[in-house]
Amino acid sequence: MAAFKRKRGGQTLVGKKAKKVKIVADGADASIESEQENNNEITVPAPVSGGKWTNKERVLIFSSRGINFRTRHLMQDLRTMMPHSKADTKMDRKDKLFVINEVCEIKNCNKCLFFEAKKKQDLYMWISNSPHGPSAKFLVQNIHTLAELKMTGNCLKGSRPLLSFDPKFDSEPQYALLKELFTQTFSTPRYHPKSQPFVDHVFTFTIADNRIWFRNYQIIEEDASLVEIGPRFVLNLIKIFQGSFGGPTLFENPDFKSPNMHRREIRLAAAAKVREKQMVKEMQKTKRTEAKTDLTTDVTADVFRTPAEEKPVLIETEPPVPRVAKKKKVNGYIRQRMARR
Amino acid sequence: MVFGTSTMEFVEEEEQLGFDSDEEKSELSDDELQEAFAKGLLKPGMNVLVAKAKKSTNNVEGLKQCLAEFRKDLPWVESLDMTNLPAEDLISKADGQAPAGVNEDINADDDFQREMFFYRQAQATVLGSLPLLKKHNIATKRPDDYFAEMAKTDQHMQKIRKKLISKQMIMERSEKAKKLREQRKFGKKVQIEVMQKRQKEKKAMMSAVKKYQKGMTDKLDFLEGDQKKPKDAGQGSKKAANKKGPNAKRKFKDQRFGFGGKKSGKKWNTKESHNDVSSFRAKVANAKGGKGGKKGKGGQQNKRPGKSVRRKMKSRS
Repeated sequence: MAAFKRKRGGQTLVGKKAKKVKIVADGADASIESEQENNNEITVPAPVSGGKWTNKERVLIFSSRGINFRTRHLMQDLRTMMPHSKADTKMDRKDKLFVINEVCEIKNCNKCLFFEAKKKQDLYMWISNSPHGPSAKFLVQNIHTLAELKMTGNCLKGSRPLLSFDPKFDSEPQYALLKELFTQTFSTPRYHPKSQPFVDHVFTFTIADNRIWFRNYQIIEEDASLVEIGPRFVLNLIKIFQGSFGGPTLFENPDFKSPNMHRREIRLAAAAKVREKQMVKEMQKTKRTEAKTDLTTDVTADVFRTPAEEKPVLIETEPPVPRVAKKKKVNGYIRQRMARR
Repeated sequence: MVFGTSTMEFVEEEEQLGFDSDEEKSELSDDELQEAFAKGLLKPGMNVLVAKAKKSTNNVEGLKQCLAEFRKDLPWVESLDMTNLPAEDLISKADGQAPAGVNEDINADDDFQREMFFYRQAQATVLGSLPLLKKHNIATKRPDDYFAEMAKTDQHMQKIRKKLISKQMIMERSEKAKKLREQRKFGKKVQIEVMQKRQKEKKAMMSAVKKYQKGMTDKLDFLEGDQKKPKDAGQGSKKAANKKGPNAKRKFKDQRFGFGGKKSGKKWNTKESHNDVSSFRAKVANAKGGKGGKKGKGGQQNKRPGKSVRRKMKSRS
């Protein structure tokens, strides 16, 4: 990028190197796609010349150390989507959080999105209004980045987004505060020098299951057919603070369960199951080995006893007469027939 | 510690159920329990430790005040935000199901329903914003000759396109394979039918020829059988023949010998069959001579004519 300062409200020079790609005005008759910058072409004036950029919002997006690739890509995607953002180097974990306020002041930013990774597994996101304003901490889940092949939409880099909120944001005070925070952070200011003059994508924030779901759609047609661009993530609110990265707690989410607790509960449940099984086994063992009571009377002895007259008991003193075994005539054909059958 | 009771047999033990590890724990010893029981805190029944309701801060006043200080009342053009309900659910309407009530919470686990909800919410925003944008002369359609950097590189979009195409190809290929498989099965059936038909025809032809040779029929219809056959009569007689099913002889043999069982010795007499005299017809057995015997004028219809007569017939025809 050229290192000259762009005049506010002034006409841009033809062929200036600030814009990387040649832009040709709409309404031009045959679009001349020439790589040369010396041709006389009508250019769409830079956004700044359309009006003055008054809404000075700048967002600082950076992270702590120990983030994984997905978080890094998510950060990059957010920087792509938000032209009014600035990047910074990774912050050391040892530093306290209020140091971030100083970093913001140095960079002349008034909003901040800070990603913090713990245990290389859990990702927390801080969103704050830098000098005095409120801040909120979220747990981020279900991250899908721009680079996923299922997200087929595309948009201009730096175009201004429409923001869409669920009506539930108006129902409770903490959500109303969050809505204001999101609006100021995510909406690109008008006439921002890096912004594009078209509005071609929409961010949606919805509340479901006590979490905030973020989606980004591209507007294809004027009849509101949409395609998802990405990124997408889910925010689970933990706390809202009155100051930036500190201060008294205004709101604490009662439904929030820290990921550590969640994992612990799962482990305890598994352990309890195993312990129960062992207990049952031991009980069975003791039952088997303990002294069994001898029953004197057999309960089932009378089952087959049917009332009838008793027969006289005959005692035979002489052996019985042996029966004469009749010898069968062996007929050859009979044997065959038997074998056949 | 909070004690809850349930109506079960009285057990003086500590139960770990419902114990939230976030609270500060104090291991309940038997002595402490006995003391508590003596004081009358414990009631008879199984005592269960129940988690204390977590006290979470909800400083509504503070939130409202903070919001009032923090908010920036900018014109809509600056923030382009909109709060709205999702647009009409055309799909569920088309299916005939009643659309989900406005106040119903979306089920976060039903992926399709949830994503459709988000989609419809975005749609409603777009539909609502378009007139406002037009009013402020902000364009939403990018003209075709406006080239600028996109959020995703062209290379990436190529990859996406290739993936979509390959998915489509895979689906098409599997469809084709399925159809081919079906066709093959069908084709086999047709082939078998044709073969059987041909064999039947051949058999009929041969039997007709044999009949003519033996002199049973002197009509030579079978030669032109294929063309001359009156279709209805032919089919009618065929149907009648088929109705009787297998031959009487075949039926008898099936009945006598059945299907399956031992292979050899099936045609030999058994004791029962030897002693079985039910099929003895006394008339037939004791009849003497019958139709005038073989001698005489019997068999006049089926008698083969002599050589001279045959020669005459040949020369005549």
